[in-house]
Amino acid sequence: MTKTPLNSEAGVSRALDLLRAANTRLVSIFGSTDLDRIGDNRVRRVHYLIDVNGREYRMLSSPVTGPIPSATEVAPAAAWYERELHDQYGIECVGHPDPRPLLFHENWPEKVHPMIHDASHVPWINDEGQYRFLRVQGDGVCEVPVGPIHAGIIEPGHFRFSVVGDTVLHLELRHFYTHKGTEKLFEKTPVMDGVMIAESVSGDNCFSHAVAYCQAIETAFAISVPPRAQAIRLIGLELERMLAHIADVGALCGDVGFGVPAAYSARLKESLLQASTRFFGTRFWRGVAVPGGVTRDLSNAETSEFGRMVTSAAREFQQMARLILHTSSVQNRFASTGILTAEIARQLAVVGPVARASGIRLDVRRDHPSGRYRDINVEVPHYKYGDVLARARIRIDETAISMGLINEALKELPAGSVLAPVPMAGTAEALSAVESPRGELLYWVRIRDGKITRCHIKSPSFQNWPALPLAMPGNIIADFPVINKSFNLSYSGCDR
Amino acid sequence: MIGDAVERSLRSPQVLISVSELFSNAAGSRMPDVQPGLLTDEVARRVVAACPTSALKIDEAAGRTHLILDYGECIGCSRCVAAGDGAFRYSEKVARCGVSKESLVRRWDLQSRAEVVQDEPALSQAAEQIRALVGQALNIRQVDAGSCNGCEAEIGALTNPYYDLERFGIHFVASPKHADMLLVTGPVTRNMAAALKNAYDAVPSPKLVVAVGACGCSGGIFGGSHAVVGPVDAVIPVNGYIPGCPPTPAMLLTGILQVLRTLTSPSRRPRS
Repeated sequence: MTKTPLNSEAGVSRALDLLRAANTRLVSIFGSTDLDRIGDNRVRRVHYLIDVNGREYRMLSSPVTGPIPSATEVAPAAAWYERELHDQYGIECVGHPDPRPLLFHENWPEKVHPMIHDASHVPWINDEGQYRFLRVQGDGVCEVPVGPIHAGIIEPGHFRFSVVGDTVLHLELRHFYTHKGTEKLFEKTPVMDGVMIAESVSGDNCFSHAVAYCQAIETAFAISVPPRAQAIRLIGLELERMLAHIADVGALCGDVGFGVPAAYSARLKESLLQASTRFFGTRFWRGVAVPGGVTRDLSNAETSEFGRMVTSAAREFQQMARLILHTSSVQNRFASTGILTAEIARQLAVVGPVARASGIRLDVRRDHPSGRYRDINVEVPHYKYGDVLARARIRIDETAISMGLINEALKELPAGSVLAPVPMAGTAEALSAVESPRGELLYWVRIRDGKITRCHIKSPSFQNWPALPLAMPGNIIADFPVINKSFNLSYSGCDR
Repeated sequence: MIGDAVERSLRSPQVLISVSELFSNAAGSRMPDVQPGLLTDEVARRVVAACPTSALKIDEAAGRTHLILDYGECIGCSRCVAAGDGAFRYSEKVARCGVSKESLVRRWDLQSRAEVVQDEPALSQAAEQIRALVGQALNIRQVDAGSCNGCEAEIGALTNPYYDLERFGIHFVASPKHADMLLVTGPVTRNMAAALKNAYDAVPSPKLVVAVGACGCSGGIFGGSHAVVGPVDAVIPVNGYIPGCPPTPAMLLTGILQVLRTLTSPSRRPRS
């Protein structure tokens, strides 16, 4: 405990200075501890992960001995990261405009920070109703609380609308109902087992999570993954994107009462899941990615059959998509609904299809490529309007692009093995990035003696959720489902 | 254009899967099955060491050595299949869906290389009884109590044209007040425990609860977390369990119908 607060602040202010520059984007803020020491003697560190020039991830770290200045004023995207930093590590960010707890609800006692304390027996507090939502006041303003349990088969979360008549003035989110302490669970997990936790962070994007985790391990120990395994990973990642986008476009139609394309998309999605079962033994590609490569291979005959099934589903989808986009009642509901402006999207460092629909061209596959993506060019479509229609179009375009990438990979599938040995010795740390269907997904791992000592997950949903409320004001509350669906964010991926 | 869409839809292929094909179909679930003849002591110890959860265990009691497989804890990681020298392979069928927690557990005697206590529901008979249930209305309220959304993806698939849950008279409803059954996923998180309890209280009696997935059955890989209360039955009473990570739509459907079947004919309830 000899480090002075001044030291720590010097490190933090370098990060804040970098964030002030126009060519930077906040990627994540997270904490870690020095595992050599236990209890209060542990040195806490804060890490700022910043994208510079859209091409380089730069990490600035600093030991923390006391409160640190908040980055939220400089980079509004820091708001949730700093609230999480306080909940997990007890690091106070001075000047934060909204220091309420984020991960932990009323049942959680104050001053228990699971990443630095023993959290095995945390007492239960009954303090319901203590959470203060922002109050919108005025004549005729009503509050509409929705959730945590929603009407459909969806994950839980709370939405608090302030409305006048049908028109939404303000929406506030309260999430983290599915918070499962996942990052803490990684601690002490054997490296080869960690991938199973990664697969259960956001089930519908489980392969992206698995690949991001595996790449981090492989980078940490300089393991070269066989080219054939990298190609199969690309196929899996692009198939996962197709599944997500096809389902989303169908669900968007369902939300505006257009049942035919909804059923049609559901059929196409299921046909791809069954193709996965047939050729990879798993519907969602669980268990396919492991550190060192993949566990499944394709024979030549299977390669062409799988490609044929993917192509046929994608073609049918494109025909259906044309019908959807030319249907006037769909245009009427999608166009100019739920606009997220480029300016707000940039301030909140939004990623993925949501960013690209608001004119921000970001794509990990092009900007920070890894694996097979290093050798190919990925087309990155974008639209400028930032409405539901733009977010639907992005998904339609990307489905076609993913089909092309899968077919290319299948055609030129390199020969050889699909799994390399994973020698693990000593201490290592590494960062890995994947463009998941929802956008930029990063894993940062620190390993000692074959076990994970820290794993941070930057999830695209955590990044994008705060932008949703800013697309709502002025829209009618009945359009919320379709706007929410057009963002299609994962609750579990966000809450972890 | 809407006309074109409808016409196109009418021309799309018929993909509905028949009841007999659906029943207990576990393709793609990666749930393991055991070939008792190949089960040696060495293989058993190897697969137990490879298992990342406690789904596989050795039980040594009264001079006998048993290998235990608890489907409720199995996340389908495939390691036993890889390490089992052919003694473990992927299940084509898992009939233990919608059964009691005890019925999720199977055991093999390593000396005689045979399964102990055959508790397998008679498949053909059960399928027959289930066919008789088709058309009776059942309203389900699905509650995600903390899942990773893998189970939700598969529950959502039940309404697609392949499975078409509605043909059985089964509907998902928006309010627990309209529900006969709660279909609950996830390890119950601290932050969802109160909401789950409230939803359960809102369902009119008699009410059915089905716990879904490895996390819902046993807590799964999240069981030990500080942010998790435990499996579904740590918070509300459960009538049947559907294993899998996630269970396939066919396993979900089997489980839902199995719960109905066992409740309508108590004598056929699986022994535990």
